[in-house]
Amino acid sequence: MKQLNTTKNEQSLNWVGKRVKRIDGPEKVTGELKYMTDLHFDNMVWGKVLRAKYPHAKIKSIHTLNAEKLPGVVCILTHKDIPGFNGFGIVIPDQPVLCSNIVRCTGDAICLVAAESEEIAERALELIDVEYELLEVVTDAEKAMTASAPQLHPDGNIHSHVKIKNGNTEEAFIEANIIVENTFYSPRQMHAFIETEGGWSVMDADGFITIHCPGQYAHRDRMQIARALAYNPERIRVISSPIGGAFGGKDEITVQIYLALLAMHTNGRPVKIHLSREESVIAGIKRHPFKVHMKTAAKKDGTLIANEVRAVADTGAYASLGGAVIALAIEHSCGPYKIPNVNLEGFCVYTNNGISGAFRGFGVNQVCMGIETHLDMIAERLNMDKVEIRKKNVYHQGEISSLGHIVKSSVGTFKTLELAENCDLWKNRRQYKSAVSEPWKKRGVALATSFHGIGMGIGLPDYGAASIEILSDGKFLVAVGCEEIGGGNSTAYAQVAAEILNCDINNIKVVQGDTSRTLDGGTVTASRSTYTGGRAVATAAPNMVKLLTNTAAELLNVPPSKIEVLPNCLNANGKVVNYQTIYQYLFEHHRSTRVEGHFILPKEKVEIEGSGGAPHHLYGYLTHVVMVEVDTLTGETDVLRVVSIPDAGKVINPQGLEGQAEGGAVMGIGYTLYEDVVIENGFHKTRNFTDYIIPTIRETPLIETFPVEDTPEESGPFGAKGIGEVVMIPIIAAIMSAIYDATGARIYHLPATPERIFNALKELKKQNVYSSR
Amino acid sequence: MLTFYLKVNGSTRTVLCHPTKTLLDVLREDFQLTASKECCGKGECGSCSVLLNGEVVCSCLILISQVINQEIITCEGVGLTTNMDIIQESFGAEGATQCGYCTPGIIVSAKAFLNGIDYVPTEDEIKTALGGNLCRCTGYTKIIKAIRTAAEKELVIKGTVTN
Repeated sequence: MKQLNTTKNEQSLNWVGKRVKRIDGPEKVTGELKYMTDLHFDNMVWGKVLRAKYPHAKIKSIHTLNAEKLPGVVCILTHKDIPGFNGFGIVIPDQPVLCSNIVRCTGDAICLVAAESEEIAERALELIDVEYELLEVVTDAEKAMTASAPQLHPDGNIHSHVKIKNGNTEEAFIEANIIVENTFYSPRQMHAFIETEGGWSVMDADGFITIHCPGQYAHRDRMQIARALAYNPERIRVISSPIGGAFGGKDEITVQIYLALLAMHTNGRPVKIHLSREESVIAGIKRHPFKVHMKTAAKKDGTLIANEVRAVADTGAYASLGGAVIALAIEHSCGPYKIPNVNLEGFCVYTNNGISGAFRGFGVNQVCMGIETHLDMIAERLNMDKVEIRKKNVYHQGEISSLGHIVKSSVGTFKTLELAENCDLWKNRRQYKSAVSEPWKKRGVALATSFHGIGMGIGLPDYGAASIEILSDGKFLVAVGCEEIGGGNSTAYAQVAAEILNCDINNIKVVQGDTSRTLDGGTVTASRSTYTGGRAVATAAPNMVKLLTNTAAELLNVPPSKIEVLPNCLNANGKVVNYQTIYQYLFEHHRSTRVEGHFILPKEKVEIEGSGGAPHHLYGYLTHVVMVEVDTLTGETDVLRVVSIPDAGKVINPQGLEGQAEGGAVMGIGYTLYEDVVIENGFHKTRNFTDYIIPTIRETPLIETFPVEDTPEESGPFGAKGIGEVVMIPIIAAIMSAIYDATGARIYHLPATPERIFNALKELKKQNVYSSR
Repeated sequence: MLTFYLKVNGSTRTVLCHPTKTLLDVLREDFQLTASKECCGKGECGSCSVLLNGEVVCSCLILISQVINQEIITCEGVGLTTNMDIIQESFGAEGATQCGYCTPGIIVSAKAFLNGIDYVPTEDEIKTALGGNLCRCTGYTKIIKAIRTAAEKELVIKGTVTN
């Protein structure tokens, strides 16, 4: 039998590593793909959610009678109609499905309505009378931590506290030649997926409920639905793919439980909910705003010797993944460097400011800006090259990280830095910087590097699973739990399967995100889906090759060792067997046509005390180089060029990787320069894309992607590892440093809006005037 | 409720609805043409872009009573998987779609833009033409590339025709 393992050399690969077109491309570019929010039925009823009128209040009473009397209303549900547990939340289910006695943010749901039309449902919401008693609103995370703040949850306002200590920072700060200390503020970024939360649900005559709702982990969504409904999960099916964008924003339950509850009361009619953008802004989770205080020390040769971090994250009214976000932030707060003395602490705090949760980067964005700015500041004071100081301090595979653990998996940082210093933009930066478009504009070039854990940390189950089935038409159905959220994992799975099965990619069909058709293989989060799902497919495919080989051997009456796996068929002594024949044979003999592959992610054995799950076993690394142009009259900043240098191990699909790198870079530009959901006294001032500005095509710079591929990750499929999040991280710090390089003004408070930059420039001018006197 | 006639993707269609129903809702709910999406409902994002007599409009801002007997082209009318337009093929080839939810609106805008020119547009011109379409996944880079590729291919085809 032909050797078909993942150690095939580069030249012999047919699909992996190639610019294979997305398998879902045709139906996406024609608009034929039906998203779950696209479906519409004649007998359908519309669902609507009554949200809280105030960010913090006691509910004294809920009167639904007037609404119930409205013609066309099918049902109105309150907390009393929840058969099971009235709560959801990935880690700690502290968010009520429907509030009963207290509301903690304006996104809180109180009632559900189903009606004959959307208009009637909206009118019904207006007729529901909720009596409130207003409570003091908690708007500031640090104030929330004080004893005098109103307590939002029974265990107080500090949801989680992580602390990592290694070495002795006090002594190191005494020994240090240089200490830099600053406070950084980061914004409440909105995922701004183009498809708002929504979907539909139906209960059949046997009581089987199907929920069609975009999500990032159908199997877990089903568990949360079943818990609220007190319903056998076997009688619930969740279909969660395809998705019109997620970025972490559909990781938590969105409207799945509402849909399931309503479906129990609509007499078998399908019920649809599709949030307006305004409702999505208020009710959807956001990126945690952080305040990060950081103090970093170095020797005069540029060796980093200490880092002290105190981070406070505003998780809003409910936990969701807030605890995990602050834990990941602290784990990554020292960058991919080996700093021997660290004292790191993070708090995740409840407020009445909406709800924060998972978002691409998961806390690392907020701390990367601190450590990378400090690296630049130290280098500047030592008159040291910005690349050199990083190269000097990065850890290599087998070395000890700042957390004190040995990094056993592949590490590409050094290589990415080498590539960065040799790229055109960096080498010729002086020339590029002088070519300003207007005399009052100034250009700056800077770089930053970062990393991001792949998969869950210690203490959480993390596994991948895939099945492959041979179909009657001779095609293979690859089924993976991880949803297609846009990143292109479906194409990656097809490539891995086609490679190992030695068939054309057109012979591969992929199904994802369906509790009835896919095995539970974990989330599509944590930069894990290509790595984990891909590895599960790579584990299942040899089992299919074995099934094909053994079946062909039986058919041809030869030993399996005589069977050769040729492209799109099998062969022995010149006799060819095609896939359809194999299917027929298996079918006729009542044999299984399906194989499975399972993969347990490698983990670290020892958890760092107090860290909340650190360290990860595996990280993806990336260096960004950027050029900005700042208008000194207005403070407006344009990012003109980006070089993205990822270490993703072996790249499964270069076009897909570029897509991630380009999309991540632009999302990072939005985060750094424009985006912030403004909440005042618990009420959202941001309402829609009229006042929440995400980058348009106009803001897209020239983006080049140069992957480093000489550090393949042994545990991944064909040496691949994850990249979905780190693509938007170092660019944040790089833009901040490039603004400084251009103007001499440092911005510590993101987004770096024209106002903030203008004021910083004004301040700088004042200082210069004073210092010249 | 009134009956309205309009021409959609080349065929005459009728719909019985309230005159204030948006063109977008008619397309999606009454005609099952769901390529056009609602994302902001305010004309900010371009996800609902369709051609109205050849011009790009946000169908979420147009009422059905404003388009009686007029000609609408949606993304499905630009091409289907069985007969894709060059623009759609180029978007597929260049990887210019990710989650795909904004893609039909972008295809429609690109179609209107390329219909109006007979040369390969500059990046700056593409950025102006597509300024009204938001995409959160791709970072737009491959969209720019795909539109240029489509323009080049269209020119080659036109060149072949005149030869």
